[in-house]
Amino acid sequence: MHSLKLTRIVKTFGQVEVLKGVDLEVETGEFVVFVGPSGCGKSTLMRIIAGLETQTSGTVEIGGRNVDATVPARRGIAMVFQSYALYPHLTVAGNMTLALKEDGVPKAEREARVEKAAGLLQLSPLLKRRPAELSGGQRQRVAIGRAIVREPTLFLFDEPLSNLDAALRVATRLEIAKLHRTLGATMIYVTHDQIEAMTLADRIVVLNGGTVQQVGRPIDLYNRPDNLFVAGFIGSPKMNFLTKRFAEEAGAATLGVRPEHLKVDPAGAWAGTVRHAEHLGSDTYLYVVLEDGQEVTVRIPEETPIAVDDAVRLSPLPGRLHRFGADGLALRAA
Amino acid sequence: MTDRPKARPRWHIAVFLAPALLVYTVIMLVPLMQTLLLALENVRDGERVFVGLDNFRMLFGDPRFSEGFWNALRNNVYFFVLHMLIQNPIGIALAALLSVPRLRGVAIYRTALFLPTILSFVIVGFLWKLLLSPLWGVAPNLLGAVGLKSLFAPWLGQEAYALTTVSLVSIWQFVGIPMMLIYAALITIPNEVIEAAECDGITGFKQFFKIKLPLILPTIGLVGVLTFVGNFNAFDLIYAMQGALAGPNFSTDILGTYLYRIFFGFQLQAGDRYMGAAVATAMFVIILLGVCFYLFVIQRRMRRYQM
Repeated sequence: MHSLKLTRIVKTFGQVEVLKGVDLEVETGEFVVFVGPSGCGKSTLMRIIAGLETQTSGTVEIGGRNVDATVPARRGIAMVFQSYALYPHLTVAGNMTLALKEDGVPKAEREARVEKAAGLLQLSPLLKRRPAELSGGQRQRVAIGRAIVREPTLFLFDEPLSNLDAALRVATRLEIAKLHRTLGATMIYVTHDQIEAMTLADRIVVLNGGTVQQVGRPIDLYNRPDNLFVAGFIGSPKMNFLTKRFAEEAGAATLGVRPEHLKVDPAGAWAGTVRHAEHLGSDTYLYVVLEDGQEVTVRIPEETPIAVDDAVRLSPLPGRLHRFGADGLALRAA
Repeated sequence: MTDRPKARPRWHIAVFLAPALLVYTVIMLVPLMQTLLLALENVRDGERVFVGLDNFRMLFGDPRFSEGFWNALRNNVYFFVLHMLIQNPIGIALAALLSVPRLRGVAIYRTALFLPTILSFVIVGFLWKLLLSPLWGVAPNLLGAVGLKSLFAPWLGQEAYALTTVSLVSIWQFVGIPMMLIYAALITIPNEVIEAAECDGITGFKQFFKIKLPLILPTIGLVGVLTFVGNFNAFDLIYAMQGALAGPNFSTDILGTYLYRIFFGFQLQAGDRYMGAAVATAMFVIILLGVCFYLFVIQRRMRRYQM
């Protein structure tokens, strides 16, 4: 059964078309991440699913039910906001139970659900505190707890980690992944961070300019990007794009190769000069200017003595070249 | 960092504070002190002498003064209660309506509702006096046009209605202030909190009472104390509408108009600066007590929420 089905979702703000016809189906229990640069429409799409925004045309079905005319509270969704959006005047427990009281859930049941969610998120000692007395990470967990107690068909996360510091972000990312396994719930997650997308998602939806660029498993997007945008967006450091001679030799308009798929090889076909080297310990990034002036990044998974201004020869790993046509779409070997 | 030299006397603080302190002393503290001292003096046998609390004994106990004083205080309390019960709830309701997202013409409503507040009390008082006049006012005809002419009465001229009528005019004039303050508080509530409430099924009136109202309570408290101070210092509108005698038969007399008659005198009544100072001191103490009650009892129990 589909937990969510979007059909031809279009959203315009005045003259601006933010979403240009999005179709998507999400299976029950799936973790789907919407990823894309800012302004790509991913947040708008999530808000349309939540019912906080109305689509200009198209339909939204949640749990097999058309919810176009349904208010957010009756859609069977629960949303976790970027700013947490906790009710400042209520305690943690109050924040979590407000919606349940509204739904007429009996007191015993409410308490049981809060207890369960609090246990899951290590919130039990904090239940009597108010949001102002919590740290950012704790507030985020309360926001997630407030979503869990509602037992929704669909969880919506709107960039939930972007207000946390780097260390906490990694920890919370793991928590969310664990939560997804524990609850087995369907989750939709919006982020602009492709690492979050790669690490959390069962399936990634890459959006750009209001259209879906590609939908697929993280590893498929990495290995088989459909177009230049997806190729450049997924993976860090970014994929190298070469044109002119290199591309022509491969029979494409643009040739893509990931930095980790280039290796320094005295017998390599591509000659160049190191412009800059970044030593990260585990990796070294070399920025190499090739003979015809195009620049590529090379990722070496170890320390290297190669220094700036050294001449190097590079060779791409076989089978790891991506060919793109003049229209930016991937050319797949027939 | 090197060791700090021993703290030197920081004269610059005093220097910078001096101008403000001087101005405040000259225009606030000295007159206030002089008024308080004046209230403790009176004229005996043509001599100005210190009489202790005699003036207050007279003000509260001698029927020549006390009848008028207690009447004015009673009226003033009624005036204040009407503002709290009518002006502030209407102000809150208007602010809530103005903050409805995607409301068209917000700026027009806001300006229109705030306009009376910036009008002079003379204009407002005279305007309403004319509107409500039984001889040439439009009120009887307007009521007549909807078949309610029988309800019309010369409200400003009847003891039973005059104070209520004047209070309602004052409410009409000043409702913009609580509206603006509360509107400003409402729009600081983050959008995402309201959206979270939408997702939780807390909408409409429930959303207002369960989410927004608790978050703007501090502002409502502030509006309450501003209303209190404003009402107990009120004078101008009553003076413009009903004159210094605050008729009919002192039924609209409040502390401000009472003070005016005692201090400056009016018609046959001679002015008495010593008793006037006593009335002014009594008003000062009443307002001080009210504000202290707010600061030390109400505000301490109220939480301000970080948003």
